[in-house]
Amino acid sequence: MIQLLLDHFLFVNNINNFGQTIEKGGMKVKKLVTRMVIIILLLGCAYATSPVQIKAFSSQNVARGAFGDDVIELQSRLQYIGYYTGKIDGTFGYGTYWALRNFQEKYGLPVDGIAGLKTRKKLVDASQYDEKFVKDNLNKGNKFTYYGSKPLSSQVGQGAGKTENVQLPAKYSDQDLKLMANAVYGEARGEPYEGQVAVAAVILNRIEHPDFPDTVGGVIFQPLAFTAVADGQIWLTPNERAKEAVLDAINGWDPSENAIYYFNPITATSKWIWSRPQIKKIGLHIFAN
Amino acid sequence: MKKMIFVLVYSIAVLSIFSYGKAAENEQLSIALSGQYANKMTDASKKLEELDTAVKKTLLFNEADGSSKARDDIWRLSSDIKNSVSSLPLDPSFSTSWMNYLGRLGNYAKEADRAADNVEYHRVMELASKNLRSMADEWQVATSGMVSGNLSIDGWKKRLDVADSGHDWTGMGTSVKQYTESDFPLTASESDSMKKKDLKNMADPEVTREEAIAEFKKIFPHLSNETIGVEMSQPGSPYPFYHIRFAEAESVGYIDITEKGGHILSFLTERPFGKESLPYEDLKKKAETFLKDAGYKDLVYEEARENNTAWHMVFVRVEPEYGAKVFSDVIHLKIAKDNAGIVGLDASEYIRKEKTSRQPITKKNWKTFFHSGVDIVKEEYAYVENDRLEQRLAHYLTVTINENEQIGTYAVIVDTETSEVIKTEKLQ
Repeated sequence: MIQLLLDHFLFVNNINNFGQTIEKGGMKVKKLVTRMVIIILLLGCAYATSPVQIKAFSSQNVARGAFGDDVIELQSRLQYIGYYTGKIDGTFGYGTYWALRNFQEKYGLPVDGIAGLKTRKKLVDASQYDEKFVKDNLNKGNKFTYYGSKPLSSQVGQGAGKTENVQLPAKYSDQDLKLMANAVYGEARGEPYEGQVAVAAVILNRIEHPDFPDTVGGVIFQPLAFTAVADGQIWLTPNERAKEAVLDAINGWDPSENAIYYFNPITATSKWIWSRPQIKKIGLHIFAN
Repeated sequence: MKKMIFVLVYSIAVLSIFSYGKAAENEQLSIALSGQYANKMTDASKKLEELDTAVKKTLLFNEADGSSKARDDIWRLSSDIKNSVSSLPLDPSFSTSWMNYLGRLGNYAKEADRAADNVEYHRVMELASKNLRSMADEWQVATSGMVSGNLSIDGWKKRLDVADSGHDWTGMGTSVKQYTESDFPLTASESDSMKKKDLKNMADPEVTREEAIAEFKKIFPHLSNETIGVEMSQPGSPYPFYHIRFAEAESVGYIDITEKGGHILSFLTERPFGKESLPYEDLKKKAETFLKDAGYKDLVYEEARENNTAWHMVFVRVEPEYGAKVFSDVIHLKIAKDNAGIVGLDASEYIRKEKTSRQPITKKNWKTFFHSGVDIVKEEYAYVENDRLEQRLAHYLTVTINENEQIGTYAVIVDTETSEVIKTEKLQ
């Protein structure tokens, strides 16, 4: 076929051009084209024999604990073919883990609950992923599913609004994070990062302490406990830094070293607070027991 | 001139109407809030009476079974009053000590099932009943102004200020604290747990400020060139430590190192993160190598959570006798996704090292222990704190059950000796 094309090319050249010079020029073009064809064929072979490329997911393995776009795609694809019945939220928990293992078992893959290259390839072949549909619904905070057996439009309902784009330990909710970030921002937005984590840690220390309420809301809204609640600054929109500080405290960091109180010595009006044993000063706050 | 007067009069009229509206609105809010506070106060008074009666009822019986219903009431009522107290603007020393007292009373009643010593129960509850009576009387006196509507919220708040107070809140707080100490003294395990929290038992030799900095440089050589301040913890700290602040390139952070032994309590740094994301396997390997190099050699990986810029990883100590994980001795690591740098470490729980002791392991028949639909997918040994704050060797079982076409996964922790279920937790 290629030879025919080349012959045709030369034939046309021969008609339009006369003489030896032109014929020599045609030979050069023939050589050039032949080389290009060989290169293309070689590249094609290299591509065909190279490791499998998937036009989906990132290049990384996806396993329990992972969070983000790859997990959203994994959950969506598993749900599309009926293996995953939970919420598509981008968090690779046990629900996703068991669904993936079932898929691996059914498709004759090694059963390890990790979305490696082979598993991802098989999953891409077996399912479809409408990224726009899934992401739009996640961004709008809609309640939705993504089963391939039903029309997508019939799988969307009113949700509770967009959730925070973070992964929390099991005992904390999205609402806890929001409330704590509001409190940290209202109380310590001008403080160093360490000071913001410490304020979040004080809230958590109080929940564990028998002298205080045992919920995030209970601790934050305990009357006279936080200035930001009294003056309404708790309702300011927190920035990403405050949220990150709360996330670190929730994940086990406590720069306050077990404090249950803190105060600003310049603005504190309570005489009682000075009677508390002081642990550490961070920025403008003194942390105490 | 006429125009000026018109504008002036108009402005004054608008401002007056606005101010009046605002004042009326504030007053309405204040009345509504006073009503809510008064309601909570009367509710607490009423329940305090009921609580006293429930305590007295339990004293009628010698056997724990007879007082079971009344003890449930004690647990419920003490929790209700605690909730009311926590939602009222009260003197902080009084509210904290009272909440503590109510919590301990409820717990004591709840745990009476396990107590073999009925004489001790009667002794404690007789004392509690007497003290509850006097607390109820004092509470009624203290809240009478608010409950009868004679006191505004501002007036109430003024009463809380000790200097202007017609009521001795501090005295009330002190008496409740005394009641707590006399009625419900700390058990040996509670006291032990508090000591551990305060790191009072640490017997390691003290390190100097320079040695603490050297430790920091050894573990985080790439961050420790620019130390911007080293402070000693305040004298009120139950365990003295060095607080080192640093700033290196774009990283700003701190590290706390104990004076006794030079152990890292916690370390955290803040910096702008890149958008790259290294594979999780690489990050885990880096974390494990870092921990080994830093001298933490008895840890195993437990779990990890990915977030936008970093992974939070948890490693847990393994004791050699049973190969059991000690869940009270953990290290938290925060590792950056962009370059696998360690940006956070918290070892405050790990350095408190729980004392674990040998414990018999009785034979269990899990087939009869669990319902027929339950599958055990993983079985390990772990030391876990029970609700009496004792470290117990336990079977740490990961089980699954079919829940409406979804697989539910749970951790069930069973005491190896007594078969008591210490904890059941739904795993995400």
